[in-house]
Amino acid sequence: MSQQASRSTAVTLPDPAESLLAVRDLDAGYGDLQVLDGVDMDVGDGEYVVIVGPNGAGKSTVMKSVFGLTTYMGGSVTFDGREISKRRPDEIIHEGIGYVPQNENVFGSLSVRENLEMGAYILDDVPEAQIEAVYDRFPILEERSTQTAGTLSGGQQQMLAMGRALMLDPDLLLLDEPSAGLAPDLVEEMFDRIDGINEDGTAVMMVEQNAKEALRRCDRGYVLVQGRNRYQDTGETLLADQDVRQEFLGG
Amino acid sequence: MGIAESVSEGRRLAVERPGVGVLAVVLLYLVVDLLVKLSGTTVLAYGIPLVGGSLSTGSLLSMLLDGLLVGLAVGLAGIGLSMTYSILDFANFAHGDTVTAGAFLGWVAASLTATAGADAALSERFLFDAGRQLGAASALLPILVGLVAAAVGTVGVVLLIDRLTYRPMRGADNISLLIASIGVALALRYLIAFVFGTQTSGVASSSVRFQILPGLAVTDNELALLFVSASLMVGVHLLLQRTKLGKAMRAMADNEDLARVTGIPTERVVRFTWILGGALAGVGGYLLVLESGTISFNFGWIRLLLIFAAVIVGGIGSIYGAMAGGVLIGLVDSLALIWLPSGLTRAAAFAVLIVVLLLRPSGIFGGVSTA
Repeated sequence: MSQQASRSTAVTLPDPAESLLAVRDLDAGYGDLQVLDGVDMDVGDGEYVVIVGPNGAGKSTVMKSVFGLTTYMGGSVTFDGREISKRRPDEIIHEGIGYVPQNENVFGSLSVRENLEMGAYILDDVPEAQIEAVYDRFPILEERSTQTAGTLSGGQQQMLAMGRALMLDPDLLLLDEPSAGLAPDLVEEMFDRIDGINEDGTAVMMVEQNAKEALRRCDRGYVLVQGRNRYQDTGETLLADQDVRQEFLGG
Repeated sequence: MGIAESVSEGRRLAVERPGVGVLAVVLLYLVVDLLVKLSGTTVLAYGIPLVGGSLSTGSLLSMLLDGLLVGLAVGLAGIGLSMTYSILDFANFAHGDTVTAGAFLGWVAASLTATAGADAALSERFLFDAGRQLGAASALLPILVGLVAAAVGTVGVVLLIDRLTYRPMRGADNISLLIASIGVALALRYLIAFVFGTQTSGVASSSVRFQILPGLAVTDNELALLFVSASLMVGVHLLLQRTKLGKAMRAMADNEDLARVTGIPTERVVRFTWILGGALAGVGGYLLVLESGTISFNFGWIRLLLIFAAVIVGGIGSIYGAMAGGVLIGLVDSLALIWLPSGLTRAAAFAVLIVVLLLRPSGIFGGVSTA
């Protein structure tokens, strides 16, 4: 267990054209408040990437910045070879990125099915095949399809939010703390679902409080501290690293 | 449930929520009084009339009809107010004057159509001082043209106002928007006064009466109001439940940030909200004039409080609440005539508003479903 994780300063970054998502030297924040300070990150085709770090490190901000929800202050975000750092969320959705916010991520007064339909709003017709695909992945949603989303349990709402983000069959899914607020026995199930989505070819970028479990399952992880990269390596290596364990994973 | 249980349940309620008990007593008194009145007897206690009086079934029914008619038009106008509140997130004080604008646009169009081909100066055909009065049966085409003009014209007015005033302020806090809307209200009202003057003009009068029951007659204009407002409400319901745009409006009323990250084109939904709300406000104003017969530059402004009351009673932000609240407020406003002098019926409508808010602070439909 004395493997050493790579310090981010010692890593050579791949050519952005080779990554599905490439974040380079990104500065971003909210209004006048800068949160991210020169963040670099990559997600390859079909890769499963996890961002961990202490509270306030800017983990969620990275994902929001990728999705065009923060104030851009410098650097670049390329997706599939195209620069998207100054684009709006509704444009970024067209590029093939789906985003599941952490809180209030379903339309509570709409039915389950209507929530899914809203996920495909930019298409001319309701994609029945895709709704079926989401129902196959989350059978409970089909059972509850006419119920309003506000009446679902926390875990079911999380599945619905993911289902909605999958409606356009994105190449990259951004998940902000999908296990937050779930009962412990559901957390495991949620991680299994995410594994399933990833195995079917969708790249995943995830922020997760439940860092150990997330790192066990992912391909690669990033440790973010105060808006900067600290470590980056495979999940296993990060888990095995003494410093990372002590500083960020509670020993 | 046994009688003993009901009694103990009632006792518990009386202790925990005395307001409900008082309300129940008042309602019970009003119902008993109404029944005694209908029977035509008066019960005196020490020479003071306690309950009863005289009221014919026919006049009760026509009060109900009146209330329903005004309520439907108010509900129609309220839908727009409720939608701008839930989707654009501010209380639009210009809504009453939008209603007035719709009524004037519609009646000008109706008047122009009715006098088409007549040998009269345009100004005479255009303005309302000629004493011309239209009814749905005798002048169906002008009334229909006016209805369409009220809807289309108000949409134009509302989009222009949005372009000039609210769009540059999108993202401003809702107090700024509210104050801007008061400015819009004043500008609109006095623009109308500038063109049409401040007098009250009679423009509509019914030409046919249909006797439904002994003592209850309905005029052609009232039937037109009933038919148009009921079908528009059904139309709004279908739009919200069945169409993609309607669902997006509900989604946006629910959670605007989530709507944006889901890829719903929010600016387009906002524009459509103005269009729909404006059209319904215009038609509501037009129909109110059809029912009352008279039009003046500030009638929408005067009715705005009633519309607000309807929307708040129903649960502000809820479109179904606006419809139900409109009908409730209309009925109360009309039925209060049984007990109160006509100048005080408005007060009864607001008393009901207060009572509903005490019992259900978020309104009848509040918190049930947003759109």
